[in-house]
Amino acid sequence: MTNRVIEVEGLRKRFRTRRGPVEAVAGIDFQVRAGEFVGYAGPNGAGKSTTVKMMSGILLPSGGRVEVCGMVPYRERKRLARRMGVVFGQRTQLWWDLPLEESFELVGHLYRIPAAERVARLRRLEEVLALGPLLAVPVRSLSLGQRMRAELAAAVLPSPEVLFLDEPTIGLDVEAKAAVRDFLRELNRDEGTTVILTTHDLDDITRLCSRLMIIDHGRLIYDGSVEALRTAYGTTRVLVVDLAEDEPVQLAGAVLARAEGRRRWLEFARDEVSAAELIARLLAGHEVADLTLEEPDIEDIVRRIYRGETRPRR
Amino acid sequence: MAEHARVYLRLAAASVRSTARRPAYLAARTVAAALIVAIEVAGVVLMLDRFGSIGGWRPPEVVLLFGLAFTAQGLALVFGDTLEADKMSELVRRGTFDQVLTRPASPLGWVVTSYVDTRFLGRMLAGAATVVWATDRAGVTWTPGRAGLAALAVACAAAIIFGVLLAAAGFTFVTVQASEAVNVFIYGGQYLASYPMQIYGSVLRFMFVWVVPLGLAIYVPALGVLGRQGPPGLPGWLAWLVAPVAGAFLALGGLAWRAGIRHYVGTGS
Repeated sequence: MTNRVIEVEGLRKRFRTRRGPVEAVAGIDFQVRAGEFVGYAGPNGAGKSTTVKMMSGILLPSGGRVEVCGMVPYRERKRLARRMGVVFGQRTQLWWDLPLEESFELVGHLYRIPAAERVARLRRLEEVLALGPLLAVPVRSLSLGQRMRAELAAAVLPSPEVLFLDEPTIGLDVEAKAAVRDFLRELNRDEGTTVILTTHDLDDITRLCSRLMIIDHGRLIYDGSVEALRTAYGTTRVLVVDLAEDEPVQLAGAVLARAEGRRRWLEFARDEVSAAELIARLLAGHEVADLTLEEPDIEDIVRRIYRGETRPRR
Repeated sequence: MAEHARVYLRLAAASVRSTARRPAYLAARTVAAALIVAIEVAGVVLMLDRFGSIGGWRPPEVVLLFGLAFTAQGLALVFGDTLEADKMSELVRRGTFDQVLTRPASPLGWVVTSYVDTRFLGRMLAGAATVVWATDRAGVTWTPGRAGLAALAVACAAAIIFGVLLAAAGFTFVTVQASEAVNVFIYGGQYLASYPMQIYGSVLRFMFVWVVPLGLAIYVPALGVLGRQGPPGLPGWLAWLVAPVAGAFLALGGLAWRAGIRHYVGTGS
């Protein structure tokens, strides 16, 4: 017994198209331990959903190995289905024309959850996700945010060990996004559910994930913590300074990126000068009212990685 | 097994309830489907009336064949309508079928019970009514044996139609996914709402919905129901072949469906 929930080794998927074979996933390796919250990002067509489909038994790999909960997904599809939850943001798993509570009841029967257990678990989920007033409403009449909360409840009702989420916050307003994220964070923390989150929303990832994997052209180009991504790729940091007086600033090791009133944005490279050093130099020559240090924006870094502008520093 | 059956029954019930949320819609669809049968039967009767009889068959006797065929079609399509190529390709295109594959259920069981169409219940009931009317006009006295033959005809014809639908659905996976894979790479995974291709031509369709089931599964048992002799050279034991033939259609359809799923998942190629 290992505590590895997902093991992927040399995983490949080739599709035959009229234009010849296309390698959607070109040999990737990773392991996910129980209880991890993994963000899986990459540009469109990079192989994200193909990987997820292979992990959930929808697609057979063309090569390599994949195991989820100790099972080979495509071979033990139905057995695995009982232990995993899947939420696709743009599609529904619920019964569209029926009141929401009937969906929960059907899920209960489908996953053979004893009635008492279902009722108890549902009561908790209803509370956490504020579903109470929605139970009698047909799913088609729910707002997107309400529906997504309901989708999550239906997906975790059978207490899955692994949860695959595909763009769960797409199209949601700020409040609904926060509700979804809070729920996922608690689920991961309290029940130890392993979560694989596929998303374009890097905010989701920085707020939720302990680990980030980036796939591009079918290959994993990054696998590590979000913080490590910043240090590996994010070379420039910005020192924002509010000067006591409006005066020109010249500092060795920093470039003036922007000036607005008495505020200056000074860009500097992490490996050339430390923030402490730079601040010391600044304070030596200027009177400073206030200053803050801006770390590189994750979204920015990832965008540059996608465009191939950035290489990891050694 | 019983537990499995209960889950699928629940799914079927849920799908009927889904339509029943709009009772007027449900009723209109069901009644309209029954009316279509009535109109078609009336057409046959009017046409046959001009000839008096065809090859020694009086109009009600011919209508019995149609009635049995309508009942069988209705029965097969209540569950099998989603297996039609256009509906299957829609399920695949929208990604619904991917979701079906993540459920702890048989994909066929799921698809067949999740989209029950009550229209075909209307067709089935109207077909049954046609059978009753036709046998009454033809002066048939019902015996358990004759009722059994009629039921056999309906069940077997339905099995044949269902088997053909299954095979067509299995084939749909192959063709739709081929184009879908192309779309994923050309359009970056956006689902393209292009019109589903017509897999089997209308002539072929006519053959399999009417000619084959009628000829194989309905004609011979109907002879027994009517107490008629078949044409010379048609051996009486042929009736015994109807069930095995229907079973073979169903089995072949099932194999094609499984092959289709294997292809879809990628195990087939």
